[in-house]
Amino acid sequence: MERQVESAAKRGRGYWFIDGFTEMAAGGLLVLLGGVILLRGVVPQAPLLTQFAATGVDVAIVKAVGFLAAILAIWWLKDRFTFPRTGYVREKWVPLAQIIAFIRNVFLIIVLPLLGLVAAFFILPGGRGALFSIPVWLPVFLGMLWGVLCYWLGEWTGLRRFRLLGMLILLAGVAVGGGQLLAGLPTFPPQALTSNPWNALPEVLRVPLEEDVKRTFVGLGLLTLISGAAFVLSGLATFLRYRKENPSPYREEP
Amino acid sequence: MTEPLRNLSDLDRVIHEPARLLLVALLSSLESADFLFLLKESGLTKGNLSVHLSRLEEAGYLRVEKSFRGKIPHTEFRLTPKGKSAFDQYRKSLRPIVNPKKGRA
Repeated sequence: MERQVESAAKRGRGYWFIDGFTEMAAGGLLVLLGGVILLRGVVPQAPLLTQFAATGVDVAIVKAVGFLAAILAIWWLKDRFTFPRTGYVREKWVPLAQIIAFIRNVFLIIVLPLLGLVAAFFILPGGRGALFSIPVWLPVFLGMLWGVLCYWLGEWTGLRRFRLLGMLILLAGVAVGGGQLLAGLPTFPPQALTSNPWNALPEVLRVPLEEDVKRTFVGLGLLTLISGAAFVLSGLATFLRYRKENPSPYREEP
Repeated sequence: MTEPLRNLSDLDRVIHEPARLLLVALLSSLESADFLFLLKESGLTKGNLSVHLSRLEEAGYLRVEKSFRGKIPHTEFRLTPKGKSAFDQYRKSLRPIVNPKKGRA
């Protein structure tokens, strides 16, 4: 009985995703972001810093405008399509303490290890080898992270398709990272591992480093694109099923 | 009679009824929901649903809020703090009965 009670609670939590609109919007946003990152990786850019700055601006604009547009579109669609068919619910607000705990965990699990790696690059010459192989491990790491988050969403809402999407994204991350490894990483001169990091980058290091960054952008763009496309397809299938099950708005029986 | 079985007679009878248990479980994960959502999700008839919702409201477990969405009258249902606490207590009481090993731990 406990399981049935939990299952009913999950039905409530998963209702937001019943029509597939959120997945389609999130997937569309990810496809857009992936496209921008991929384009920045493929199109040659002059100095490395310009490439970073330009990508940062692009991503921030796509995220801010896209997120706002997606929220408005989802509400508009739900108001006209979903609520008249299967009803209206108000989701629970996430408590501030829970948001703070989430941000703290993200910082501890993601930001801190990444900062640690950058520090290792500057301080420990041995750590630089790992940083230079970023085109391999970043997609794997992000694929695992997104995959786990997606799987957790599936557990929390009781929606099996999110668990499948989680596994797919995880596999996509491993495939993109593996592909980068098979394609071979740029060769860094030995001095890259030993030179004083506080001095300006030697010219001999600039070319492989630019190649490394380009490959990272391509890998990240590909993973984001694949994840976005998977979300769009999953959302579309969900929407079609929902529309078939609820062809018209609910009407009072005479 | 063993302890878990004694707990069985202490279960909240307002919530213990299967249809009401389903409604409370659905509402427990939401801020509020309207009649249509509860109707679709519970699979009850309109009359049955109304009766169960009224029973929960009488017990003070449910609050009914009437408003307008545009020009259309809209009724939302939400669990009161008393309803939430009764549901939590119900689940706690049920655990040792359904799964005695876990309940004792």
